[in-house]
Amino acid sequence: MRNHDHSGSGMTTHAPIRRLLTSRRHMLGLAAGAAGSGLLRPPALRAQPRTLLPVAEADALVAFGHTSPVTDGGWTMAHDQGVQAVRRAFPRLRTVYVESVPYSADATRIFRQFVAEGAQMVIATSNYGDFIRDVSDRAPDVAFMECDGHAVSGNLGWYYITHWYASYVIGIAAGLMTRTNKIGFVGSFPIPSVYAGANAVLLGARSVNPAATLQAISINAWFDPQAATQAGSALADNGCDFLCGIMDEPAYLRVAEQRGIKAAMWNTDMRQYGPEAYVSSVTLDFRDYYVEQVRARLAGTWQPQGHFLTLGHGVDRDPWGRTVPPEVAAQADAMRTRIMQGYNPFQGPIHDAAGRLRVPQGQAMDDALIYQWDWAVAGVTGLD
Amino acid sequence: MAGTLQRQPTVTPARRLAWRAGAIVTALAITTLFLALSGRDPRLLADLVVRSTVGSRFGLEDLALFLTPLLLTGAAVTVTGRIGVWNIGAEGQFYAGAIGATAIGLFLPGPSWLVLPLMAASGIACGMGWILVPALARAYAGVNEIITTLLLNFVAGLLTTYLAVGPWHDRVTGALASTGRLPVRIPEIWGVVHWGFPIALAIVLGLAWLTTRTSWGYQITVGGANEQAARYAGIPVRARILGVMLLSGGLAALAGMFEVAGTVHRLQGGLANNFGYFGIVVAVLARGSCLNVLPAALLMAFILNAGIVLQTQQLTGSAVLAITGLVLFMIAIADELAHYRPVTVRPVTPRPATRAEVRP
Repeated sequence: MRNHDHSGSGMTTHAPIRRLLTSRRHMLGLAAGAAGSGLLRPPALRAQPRTLLPVAEADALVAFGHTSPVTDGGWTMAHDQGVQAVRRAFPRLRTVYVESVPYSADATRIFRQFVAEGAQMVIATSNYGDFIRDVSDRAPDVAFMECDGHAVSGNLGWYYITHWYASYVIGIAAGLMTRTNKIGFVGSFPIPSVYAGANAVLLGARSVNPAATLQAISINAWFDPQAATQAGSALADNGCDFLCGIMDEPAYLRVAEQRGIKAAMWNTDMRQYGPEAYVSSVTLDFRDYYVEQVRARLAGTWQPQGHFLTLGHGVDRDPWGRTVPPEVAAQADAMRTRIMQGYNPFQGPIHDAAGRLRVPQGQAMDDALIYQWDWAVAGVTGLD
Repeated sequence: MAGTLQRQPTVTPARRLAWRAGAIVTALAITTLFLALSGRDPRLLADLVVRSTVGSRFGLEDLALFLTPLLLTGAAVTVTGRIGVWNIGAEGQFYAGAIGATAIGLFLPGPSWLVLPLMAASGIACGMGWILVPALARAYAGVNEIITTLLLNFVAGLLTTYLAVGPWHDRVTGALASTGRLPVRIPEIWGVVHWGFPIALAIVLGLAWLTTRTSWGYQITVGGANEQAARYAGIPVRARILGVMLLSGGLAALAGMFEVAGTVHRLQGGLANNFGYFGIVVAVLARGSCLNVLPAALLMAFILNAGIVLQTQQLTGSAVLAITGLVLFMIAIADELAHYRPVTVRPVTPRPATRAEVRP
């Protein structure tokens, strides 16, 4: 239990009812009333967290919306392992998932359909912004969770991993291992997680190798092996000898293996796709967190909130690849230990790519600030 | 007496409808067979699909939201088809319309009653601008519009993504990869269904009247049937091609404006959701008649909506796409087969020569 210390307040005052039968009707009734804009509603109404009634395990339906196929070998696979852990922990509960949920109005339809089918908990394993918010506002009896989300309302919360610490640790290895001092980064969109990932890698690298630079390419997708391959090749052509990125799949690791350079990945252990090139990976583990959240929902103690899974508790660097020199691994792991003991490596002074001082000497960026990161640090090109 | 199949040049609507119904039933039968073979209960799935689409208010709302852009993009492709031109670029014009509408919505403060019509006007103008070059090239230089309109789709899609993550990127509420939320929205009339739906319906009905009951519509039909003959008859074919293509671009753009101002409320990559391409499918099903766009768009909306329901039942997106393809494939075959009917060929027995025909 990392974040739940509240008891089930209010849960005993309500008689348990068959929410499976009522949730949908409730939602449709509200849909007519909730015609106004979410922005126009008084903020007090949305910030009021309400305790959702407990649900019997046999009546429970937990729905997951994934951004890519569960067989992507990366991001969605990591979440699917969490889904399987939920199934093991609660064998009588039903789970459903939809994979490849697009970032479009179709996402709203899918989440609405989950609610219509009686789900008491909807977990989006990627950011869907308004598309999930529009549904959660109209279904107040359903618990919504959004990975990489930013909004907390009465029944919508977000969770994310503090991957920037793992990226920083891997960045140290990159700084020590690069010969050309050029690190490549295959990103999806210029959004905070990508800024945080790329910035953390370069700040880590520069902590041991001040000459290091990072060149990023955004391919406008999380899962597009072909575009990731092209981006990886272009970066290698440009002289990058260490590839990083945030992709759901291992395409640019294969590029690195073919080109005889190094690569650090995301999501899972991907060394089988490029054993010579593989350095490490930002590995994710949502199993304990999902089981804990579903347990809270069943018990009626679930509360909407923002929550970070921290280094060593849901996110970590993968055991180092076989071609990583032991002294590099030791130096990077020394920082990993320090961070796990509470050290924040994101200390000022930090300049942005335009040379402006953004974080002065003596100050540090905390997780909340890093989570909103929307500028590139000095030395990062291709994002701004 | 020998039986054979003969191709009829025209098909009565009733006959085509019967064949299409047969096609849909066949496609559903094949789908049922495969679902049963893979260990699912087709009856349960069918029940859920019907309840979640046409069998509940919730489903009907979603159906109407799907229909709104499909009616407009379907009509956009249909009107150009009447003059023998294929506008494959409805997707791009959709994006152009969304961009034009968002530009006004984001940067022109004002009351909704003023901003919304301006957004629509700006969106339509952008959509017309997007098709203007292909339209001029087609009308005056004979450049194949299929290629030019198609390729501009990718330009429009990437331009949208660029604006959404670049200059217009939302840096206030932390939304990812999209612009800020538009301060105005099309009012909703029924649940999540907004005014765009009845307006789209009215537009399609108006187009049906325009294309079949006016001399402008007649000129277009003649121009589409035989360009040379139409020109010889004094019909300004080039001007008509230009006009129809601009109308088409404006229709698709209005769909984009409705989507961004009524449903999504932010400009972002992927906004068009393939509605432009589905418009081509709708137009093919409608066979050139604007009135037919109504049932064709309804079928398409039902298929798309059913696809989402099936995905929540753990069918993969690819399986849903395959079912969609199967239905449309069967309809295409049925449309062709409807032309054939069995005829009995009676051997013509030569009449015995009469005396008068016998020449000495």
